Amino acid sequence: MFSRDLWSEIFHSIKSNKLRTFLTGFSVAWGIFILVLLLASVDGMKNGFTKQFGDDASNSIFISAWETTKAYGGFEKGRRIQLDNSDLDFIKKSFDGYYEYISPRYGKSVPISYKNETGTYSVRSISPDHWFIERTQIDKGRYINQNDIKNTLKVVVMGKVAAEELFKDEDPIGKDIILNGLSFKVIGIFSDDGNEREERNMYAPISTFQRLYGNTDHIDQITLTYNPDFNFAEAINFSNSLEKALKRRLVIAPDDQGAIYINNYAEGFSDLNNFTLVLSMISIGVGMLILIAGIVGIGNILVFIIKERTKEIGVRKALGAKPFDVIKLVLLESVFITSISGFIGMIFATSIVALISPILDTPAFANPSVDGVTVITSTIVLIVAGVLAGLIPAIKAARVKPIVALRAD
Amino acid sequence: MIEIKNLHKSYHMGSNSLHVLKGINLSIKEGELVAIMGSSGSGKSTFLNILGMLDNLDEGEYILDEVPIKNLNETKAANYRNKFLGFIFQSFNLINYKTAWENVALPLYYQGVPRKERKERAIKHLESVGLGPWIEHLPSELSGGQKQRVAIARALAAEPKVMLADEPTGALDSTTSREVMDLVQKINDQGKTILVVTHEDDIAHMCKRIVHLKDGVIVEDSYVNQVRASEYVQ
Repeated sequence: MFSRDLWSEIFHSIKSNKLRTFLTGFSVAWGIFILVLLLASVDGMKNGFTKQFGDDASNSIFISAWETTKAYGGFEKGRRIQLDNSDLDFIKKSFDGYYEYISPRYGKSVPISYKNETGTYSVRSISPDHWFIERTQIDKGRYINQNDIKNTLKVVVMGKVAAEELFKDEDPIGKDIILNGLSFKVIGIFSDDGNEREERNMYAPISTFQRLYGNTDHIDQITLTYNPDFNFAEAINFSNSLEKALKRRLVIAPDDQGAIYINNYAEGFSDLNNFTLVLSMISIGVGMLILIAGIVGIGNILVFIIKERTKEIGVRKALGAKPFDVIKLVLLESVFITSISGFIGMIFATSIVALISPILDTPAFANPSVDGVTVITSTIVLIVAGVLAGLIPAIKAARVKPIVALRAD
Repeated sequence: MIEIKNLHKSYHMGSNSLHVLKGINLSIKEGELVAIMGSSGSGKSTFLNILGMLDNLDEGEYILDEVPIKNLNETKAANYRNKFLGFIFQSFNLINYKTAWENVALPLYYQGVPRKERKERAIKHLESVGLGPWIEHLPSELSGGQKQRVAIARALAAEPKVMLADEPTGALDSTTSREVMDLVQKINDQGKTILVVTHEDDIAHMCKRIVHLKDGVIVEDSYVNQVRASEYVQ
């Protein structure tokens, strides 16, 4: 099937139709080029989105409370819902095994000063688990630990920007700052990827802050991460039952949309996945449509070539070429042109992606790449395309009557 | 070698039917050199097409080397053509991007002969038609007579039972025509059965037997004294 003679025939045919071969090859190369670029772009967008979420653990769930929007259980609507330590304990007890890390959040905006520098900073009081939920990067020192919580120590972990503002060139670790009139020790510095505003914040032990602000047990927010073994559906189920349990506990109407807000990243991710899937589908669709233009082009040219070679095909048949010999010749030529030009298109697209990828670094578009699956799929598509493009011309060629060879022109 | 009995062939074009061959009977023995003559419209082309298995007959019998030729599908016809017949065309019909030897080797390619052996056999046949120094030349680099000799070598390559020549000298001047006919006669001398379709009297008389076709029937079939083309050459 792949004898040297067959190849030499194909090369002859290509050589004698250089421009035409180039033009059709170009249309196929163009189709694959665009297909690969589109897929790489979708990939880049997906990476970009993931990166946006990437700051927090991707399995985070945030619970916060507002006012009821519906009268329920003897209460009027508009009742303020306040989360407190007992709600946190309730979740810990009721959903053991469903969550991975859990931490309360209780935040205040407070004046802080060191020597002559003063500023207002927002301080989040949390428990040690928060480190894993927020994926805080500790540059220096340490994070809040269990000991800080137990002994209600007056310590803070300071964002990089806040530290620069207050301490200038000094090393803040171990220094005391004045926080709302009280002395707190700086135990660590953290940074946050891609979010400078976050780096003006500080973290303090939850117990210390609750005592400091009127010995309260209030919590603004409960943050947790669901069991990482959960898939999206299981994660969404979990947050739904969490919502139900909390509403029952806090006497909120089951259909009250405003009182408790549970933000499950799984939902976002699942939406995002669907979104990028749809985008991939669209780009594959568009790429294919462009490719079809290329296929039609190749088919068109082959029909032309065969028309031109009718006499030659007739002679071959008179000399003993079987219909299959002729079909083989035409199909192989078609597959050969599509494959080669497709590969060229693919190589161009991947090199452009490789060139552009390091330069491009916008939040919504990161690290576009072409994976092996794309390459293999495109290759198969190309070969199939080649066969399809050659099929009609090949059948046409096989039907050439050898009589035409006898006809003198 | 060839037995034709009561051969009929019509062409249908819409509601019109054209009866081209109206009962032809012809028997050709091995080693004959037969000229088939006739004006255009006499049916000689159709007759040749049927002999060449390029067209099917409607009625009658065609037996080639004791093999009845009928109900052929395309693949079978291709096989028979390759095995039994060598074609020589008026316009040579060489493939212009193939060298002389590659053209000659083409029938062997379709027989599945390996490339090396093909080349050897092709060169042997080219040498036998006096084109030894031209084996690597493209048709465009050859004269008309040389092209027809390549075509003859190609027709010989598969060692067919019968050679069919359709106006082999139609595109050549008279000197070259005689050279080509000389070659045809020499091949016939070695025992090959050859049919030559022509409308030229002098070419016909270089054959051993002349069959005249007119309006789809044989009107004359006679053995003649062969004029040797070599008498004219030089």
